[in-house]
Amino acid sequence: MILKTEVLQKRIRYLVRTLCTLAAPILRLRNVPALSLIALSFCVASAYADDPDNCLMCHQYRGLGRVDQETDEFKLYFVDPEYGHHAKGPHARLACTDCHVASEVSVVPHQPTTPVNCTQTCHLSDPGGLERIFSHEASARWLDDSAHSSEVLRQLNFTGGPLLHEGQSNCLYCHDEPLFRDPVAVIPEMSRLNERTFDRCDSCHSQSVPVDVRYYINHIASRLQPARGSLDMAQVCAVCHSDPLVNEQHDMSDAVASFVRSFHGKAALLGDNSTADCLSCHVMPGENAHLMLGPDNPNSSVNVAHVADSCRSVQCHPGADLQIASTAVHLDIPTAGGSAEFLLAAFFIIATLLTFGPAALLVLLDLVQIIIGRGHHDADEEKALARRVLATPEGRRKLTRFTVKQRVEHWLLAISFTLLVLTGFPMKFADRDWASALINMFGGLSLARHIHHWSGVVLIVGFAQHVVVVLLDFWRKWRTPRPDGTRPGAWQTWNDLPMWITVEDAKKTLHLLLYLLFLKKERPTFGRFSPTEKFEYLGVFWGTVLLGITGILLWGMQLSSQFFSGRALNLATIAHTYEAFLAVIHVGILHIYNVVFAPKVFPLSRATLSGETPVDKLAEEHSELVDEVASELGITKAAT
Amino acid sequence: MTKPKFTIHSLVDLVWRGLRGTARMIRVAIPRLYGLALLLFICWLTFLSIRYLVRSLLVPSQTPEQIVGIPRRMEPELLTTERADWKAITAAETPRMPPAHYHRVDSWIDPDRFNDCSRSGCHGPLPHAKNKAVRAFLNMHATSIHCGVCHMETDDHPLRMTWYDLDTGSAQQPPAILTLYERLHDIKPDEKDADVLKQQHRELVALMQRTAKDMPEAKALRQLVEHFEAVRPGSRTYDRLLEETRAIIPRYFRGEYGAKLALKAEDGAPMLGHPDTTEAVAKFLAEGDQLALDDREQLLAKVHLLRRAQAYTCTECHRADASLVPLAQLGYPPARIEALSDPIVFEMIENIDAGRSFEMPQFLAPTSDD
Repeated sequence: MILKTEVLQKRIRYLVRTLCTLAAPILRLRNVPALSLIALSFCVASAYADDPDNCLMCHQYRGLGRVDQETDEFKLYFVDPEYGHHAKGPHARLACTDCHVASEVSVVPHQPTTPVNCTQTCHLSDPGGLERIFSHEASARWLDDSAHSSEVLRQLNFTGGPLLHEGQSNCLYCHDEPLFRDPVAVIPEMSRLNERTFDRCDSCHSQSVPVDVRYYINHIASRLQPARGSLDMAQVCAVCHSDPLVNEQHDMSDAVASFVRSFHGKAALLGDNSTADCLSCHVMPGENAHLMLGPDNPNSSVNVAHVADSCRSVQCHPGADLQIASTAVHLDIPTAGGSAEFLLAAFFIIATLLTFGPAALLVLLDLVQIIIGRGHHDADEEKALARRVLATPEGRRKLTRFTVKQRVEHWLLAISFTLLVLTGFPMKFADRDWASALINMFGGLSLARHIHHWSGVVLIVGFAQHVVVVLLDFWRKWRTPRPDGTRPGAWQTWNDLPMWITVEDAKKTLHLLLYLLFLKKERPTFGRFSPTEKFEYLGVFWGTVLLGITGILLWGMQLSSQFFSGRALNLATIAHTYEAFLAVIHVGILHIYNVVFAPKVFPLSRATLSGETPVDKLAEEHSELVDEVASELGITKAAT
Repeated sequence: MTKPKFTIHSLVDLVWRGLRGTARMIRVAIPRLYGLALLLFICWLTFLSIRYLVRSLLVPSQTPEQIVGIPRRMEPELLTTERADWKAITAAETPRMPPAHYHRVDSWIDPDRFNDCSRSGCHGPLPHAKNKAVRAFLNMHATSIHCGVCHMETDDHPLRMTWYDLDTGSAQQPPAILTLYERLHDIKPDEKDADVLKQQHRELVALMQRTAKDMPEAKALRQLVEHFEAVRPGSRTYDRLLEETRAIIPRYFRGEYGAKLALKAEDGAPMLGHPDTTEAVAKFLAEGDQLALDDREQLLAKVHLLRRAQAYTCTECHRADASLVPLAQLGYPPARIEALSDPIVFEMIENIDAGRSFEMPQFLAPTSDD
């Protein structure tokens, strides 16, 4: 099947290339580049009589319709003439009376009493005048053997009443007027063809060798891809599978709602048509969509015995292990109470509340101090001292809290983190309007995912480099004897690392909280780094490790499935997404406040660029450092 | 005790001190207000974040609007909404139609924002519903003719009419497609003068561009314009395209020109509603249902000040002689006038008008003029 498609694709490519070559002189006229004439579709006008019954004389008017006062339903009799004129779909070569009963519609006003029977035999006649007999009857037969048999469809009850009128074909639940999809996604060369390209073909093919070239190419090229895009397919299935009454009647959950919580569903929402849609899993590879079966049927593609093959089909995850089958594609955490996935999500939510909550409380209480005008008790004195120290080159150097290397690392982290958020969050919130807008800004989901993956690589490499530097620093300090000749213990050395949170930091944080709650008069002072900064720094350690590991597992899903079960990949997804959310709210709300919006640093903390801290902040939050440097330089408070 | 003397200096000093005090107050107030704004903003963001987390764990997922935000039935509300109101329609490549409706409706019947009869909420965009034989045909005209043309009283014969722009509601020249069609037929096939050809080409391109703009759904027309613009006037390709354009343009006579016909008032403006009836309309909408029959009729008479007792019939316009609509004056080219008033069409319309069943004339092909 695949082989056939490839051969067909190659042949069409060849034909398109030839056509482009032939059309080039026309398209280059007056130096107008051919590409500027690219058509949205290359459907073209044809000499073929697309309305032999002349129905479009009236039905081409958009307003031909009425509101039925009895049923309060709007009847629209408009038929888009472009459909036939420009061969926009496989039914474009049908006359109206191929479907509607001629004796009923040739009289005005029409007396249509016989609903269209989709399985009736059509007598298609090609441009050469040959009659071809065609019918959808086989599809109807297949359907009767499927989970969607006519018996099942007849008994459907929908919220708000029936969706079809009495006697209408069940086919309409899934099918409306079919359109040829833009084949450019499958054969990019086709973007070079436009409406006029086929004029040259017509000189022979409309007369001597009657072939409707345009229709033929449109039809075949369009069929090289699924008849509908992924999101469109979800819309079709949602007609029944998102209807509460239908779900209740058949004891089903909303399968489309859970589908859009999966990666496939989110990708579909973001306009990616290469992602799996409902048919990708629920129809056996190469099998007819009308033969879809329920998961309990041993022949079903989603039956336990076959589901792994469905996942591992050549179009999807061909290199994956059988274990991939245990991935829960229709996972909806709230309805999976008690499962490992639910518990992990609950753990992350609690962890988020316990880490983000206190940090947010400190920021909010700090803002309360600003609003009521409560200042540091001896801030003026400290500021004066800080200014004195900063006035000396040595003091300025020592009060520069961040080295050039650290600033470069910070910006690398900031840029990669921002890119990760901008390309990752639209996946998390794929149903929001801004998500698709953002993904489109990055040139579509495919490119956005590449950016996400490689930004992650930059983050991980930067992080690994930093860890090595920290470990070397630790090693050097640990191996360096003290002045008394003894060597420090490993724990002591570790505890002395500048960014490690110590018991003293915890005490000072509690002191700060009590001060902000008006339970202490003195604001605690900190050294080079405040506990909040250390906390944020260690958060990056935890976050990068977790996001990095889970991200790599998900990125290389096919390889990961060789070592881990599909459930593990579900857990990795949950961990990745909730940890990312924690990181974003922490950085986006609290860190951005501290380095951008806080009055002491607004509009941007200089420390991020020059490593220097504003005097106000130095005096209020890092006065221990100021005092230490001042004492080293022999500058006393009294002297100020 | 002497009273303090009021001098200019003391006034200046007072003002100066007042200004300094105000400046000090502002200096103190700004950081506090800024802090308050930040506090509220952070509280709001924190609330949103926590709410999201809790909901993600406890509230079962719903299918998003991009999938289910699609009309499921052909309900009359479709006539008062726009395509963009349906999120699933705009999100999809080929959106799902309501299941009971097989044919595609890729573009919408846009509500006429300047037609007082429908924008008031009194009448729907397709208002004719009673006469089974003609209702759909009458509604068919609603996309190109204002209600007043048939329903407003006037002594003029033919009617005084004008086109009005559907974007602005003001009077405008005939739609470009009508002029274009006429020009296409004016062109002499053996014209050799290069300057004349160039001028002709420029004019046709401008008219085709305006036509394509009036019909945003007609993608094929846009392509034709692009190609026509690119060819060299006088070349064989130009002649061929000219011929093709002549054949294609009549396909776009579908009453969707970005403009509609309306009766013309004395000042030349289109009459888009009954004059001075705003209050009566508001009263009818508010109380109409509760009024006694007589009172209701009286109020309706006030709402429809210019209403004709009997609307014009189809054949009063679709006729070769003494048509009510001055088609030529309104910019219709002769070929189109002929198509609209052909005796066979007249006969067909007469049948429709009278509610008589008849067989479709098979030999008519007004979608093409060749």
